[in-house]
Amino acid sequence: MAPRSDDRLELLQGTLDMLILRTLLFGPAHGHGIATYIRQTTSDALVVEHGSLYPALHRLQRDGFISSKWEKAPDKNRELKFYRLTAAGRRRLRKEQSKWDDLVRAIGSVMNPLPET
Amino acid sequence: MLRWFFARLTRRGAPTDDEIARELRDHLELDAEWLASSGPSGARDAQFSAQRRFGNVSNINEAVRHVWHWNWLEQLEQDVRHGLRAIAHGPLYAVAVVITLAMGIGAAAAVYSLSHTIHDPFPRLSHGGLLWITQSNATCGVDCTQTSPAALAALQTRARSITAIATFHRGVVLRSSNGSEALDGFGVSPNTFETIEAPFAAGRSFPKDAGQPGAPGFVVLSYDFWQRRFGGSRGAIDSTITLGERPFTVTGVLGKGVIFPVAADVYTPSVLRTEDASNYGSRQYDVFARIAPGASIAQAAAEVSAISAQMVRESPKTDSGWALRARPIADYHTDDVLVLVQISAIAALLVFLAACMSAANLSLSRLAARRHELALRTALGVRRWRLARHLLTEALLLSLMAGAIGALLARQGVHAMRDAIPADFAAFIPGWVRLELDGRALAFAFGTAVVAMLAFAALPVLRATRVDLSGVLSEGGRASTVGVRGTRVRSSLIVLEVGIALVLLTAATLLTRSVRNMVRGDAGVRVDHALVMHLTLPQMTDSSKVDFYRRLDANLQRERGVRAGGVTTTTPLSNNSSGVLFEIPGRPPEPNGRPLGANDQHVSPGYAAAAGMHSEDGRMIGAQDEASPTAQRAIVVNRYMADAMWPHENAIGRLVTIGNVQWTVVGVASNVYHGGLDEPLRYTVYRSIYQSPNAYSSVAVWTTGDPAAMRDTIRAVVARTEPTVAVGDMMTMIEMQARHVSAFTMMASTLAVLAIVTTTIAAVGLYGLIAYGVAQRRREIGVRIALGARSADILSHIAGGAVKLTMLGIVFGVTGGVLFARLLGAMLYRVTAADPATFASVACTLLAIALTAALIPSWRATRVDPTVAMRD
Repeated sequence: MAPRSDDRLELLQGTLDMLILRTLLFGPAHGHGIATYIRQTTSDALVVEHGSLYPALHRLQRDGFISSKWEKAPDKNRELKFYRLTAAGRRRLRKEQSKWDDLVRAIGSVMNPLPET
Repeated sequence: MLRWFFARLTRRGAPTDDEIARELRDHLELDAEWLASSGPSGARDAQFSAQRRFGNVSNINEAVRHVWHWNWLEQLEQDVRHGLRAIAHGPLYAVAVVITLAMGIGAAAAVYSLSHTIHDPFPRLSHGGLLWITQSNATCGVDCTQTSPAALAALQTRARSITAIATFHRGVVLRSSNGSEALDGFGVSPNTFETIEAPFAAGRSFPKDAGQPGAPGFVVLSYDFWQRRFGGSRGAIDSTITLGERPFTVTGVLGKGVIFPVAADVYTPSVLRTEDASNYGSRQYDVFARIAPGASIAQAAAEVSAISAQMVRESPKTDSGWALRARPIADYHTDDVLVLVQISAIAALLVFLAACMSAANLSLSRLAARRHELALRTALGVRRWRLARHLLTEALLLSLMAGAIGALLARQGVHAMRDAIPADFAAFIPGWVRLELDGRALAFAFGTAVVAMLAFAALPVLRATRVDLSGVLSEGGRASTVGVRGTRVRSSLIVLEVGIALVLLTAATLLTRSVRNMVRGDAGVRVDHALVMHLTLPQMTDSSKVDFYRRLDANLQRERGVRAGGVTTTTPLSNNSSGVLFEIPGRPPEPNGRPLGANDQHVSPGYAAAAGMHSEDGRMIGAQDEASPTAQRAIVVNRYMADAMWPHENAIGRLVTIGNVQWTVVGVASNVYHGGLDEPLRYTVYRSIYQSPNAYSSVAVWTTGDPAAMRDTIRAVVARTEPTVAVGDMMTMIEMQARHVSAFTMMASTLAVLAIVTTTIAAVGLYGLIAYGVAQRRREIGVRIALGARSADILSHIAGGAVKLTMLGIVFGVTGGVLFARLLGAMLYRVTAADPATFASVACTLLAIALTAALIPSWRATRVDPTVAMRD
């Protein structure tokens, strides 16, 4: 059973791109696969709106971070559009990841201050 | 960044529309499969919920395309296509809006072109720091704008903050191997061209000492004259031309398009002679001034007023009542022209407002009619902004079409106005002959119309895009009630339009009636079978002038087809006049302390009969009034002057002092409205032209047949009498009269056109409003008919609303009309501004038009078939 809508987490602005890139690190995937992966990994906490997902995919492709190709899906008998990371995409992901880590650390230290020593 | 930009621009790697659609479809299918496999519900349910989860496919599709495409051009194209389709869908609405707006833009652009040109009297000269100085007298009405030599001398010697220069019209005769030609010449102060900073096409201005008595003659040519006479040759500079009997050296040619102070051929330097400087009586100078560096306009104006006051103190006898005034150069016109321009500007503004209101009204109705469609499109997921863009594009397209047609109308209008004034007359209205459609005026009118259109398109867009979906849709297409607020706005607009139409219609009617009265009225001068022309005599002795005038009278009398012929100094209705100050011995000074002035005419014995004047007492000027020193100094006064100077007494034998000479009244002549019926009667004195032979005069001829056919005959008579005399401005008195009233005629027709335009706009607006109301209330009307309402009830119910609006508009219009007519007041002849008959007839006409406009849709309402209307 999916959580009620107000239990869902809102995606932080700008994090969708990072999530897509991170998902593609495991290998090529189509749009539905990416959405499903994100939802399942977060136990339905993060539901990527399709209205955001596809424009984001195309924006990333336009800017050269991912590429796309119509390929036959392994378990289906038809071609689907698969996205994969490019070298620029990997670099971008690294940068985003370290920025994100810094951010989480910074926010965490405000929200859960370490006991004074 | 650059690569990104480039990729964007070239759409490299962009998926096709099909690809995007396929990708999204795949997603839906995968989602449905996934839902089906993970949930209990059937495949069909899964597909629906997949779709529901996915959201609006077309919106996502568009968002993805947005990522790839440099989108605005494509969207613009789409918007335009959409707009054109919407326009094609309601062609009647489109035509009504375009025509309405076009008329408004056309009227405004035409009239503001006129206004711009008129307020730019001297093209190619810098207007900054230039002033026009006038001398006016409260007693002499509107036309006293010229300045006396004494005042000019005072300005030139005393004023510190300005450099004053003067111009006066001086017709000259150009003598050449192939005959004489009368030219428009201006005598100007020698430093004129430096002062006004006039550009020269060739050569230079006058030398320093030019214009002094005994100095050689110099002349500056206008560009047009240089082209006409010298073919634009540089050889003209330093060559010599003969004006009158004297040689003049050409020093320079003014730049192309320089007109100062009105169109002229030649300029000669002229300095005030000492005897001129003490002359207070004649006022013939146009005085202009350049503000000295460092001085302000306010300083200059103050100094001019101070000098004026000083002059009154120094010579109260001649100067009391006269005041000098510095005005901006843009006002270099008679007050009549300025009032005309002001009136047309107000009228055009009203028409423009009415047009914009009407267009707004139409678009509000149209939007209301499309409420359902808009709601449906919103429901189908068209985003608000796109919807707004569609409506705005549609409005923009309509205004563009209106702008194009409006520009054409404006051009026609401007040319019609320009050509309505005869060229020789227009030459004395600075700027008139150059009247052309002004780009700035057009751009301004067009821009304002576009903004108004967009604003009114945006207003309902805001409302339309906030359309309550379920509300409109659940009506199931039956808009049963009319939005009360919308109707109220539209009704008020109609009321205003009717009001404006009434204002303009009454103004046009009043002016037309006034012009008709002027033309039909008796100005005391012969208009039928009369021919007049201007004469310019070359330099000759007074006795040979007298001899010429004497022989001319005789030769005219002898000519076949001529009943009478004679000479005078200025022709009635010609807008030329000359004045003289006089005193009556023994008469106490006037209560207002001002000197007496009269219209001064020097005539030959034949003139009175030719001009259709008759003697009311005594005799007219005759052959016995000779130049010889022993002859009696005889003067004839007009009836008006005789009655005012010697009421209830016999005027014959009384004395009139002019200058230091005493003249004896020998007769009383019938009154002549020299300045036309639109101007008050003036005191007039007639003296013999033999006793002061003028070099400029006018011939009047009374013909037996068609005067126009006599032109060549009369020209030949003058040439036979003296070949060196130049003849110009020949016209019949009918033409002279038409020319005299041409400004009023033009004004009347301009106002009439504007009034008809506004009336049409108001009628169309009213029709639209009623038709819209009927369409909206079809069901209600159907119900009424079904319940037994008779056709007459329906008709009066619907048309009654229209009558109410029109009456309200008429009430507003009468108020505005009385105010507007007051502006016209000075121009109206034998018509009162607040003429009840005119107002009543115009109001009735408007009511009839409004009724007609309202009856068509009302009648249609009575034909509503209740069974059909209620099923809709």
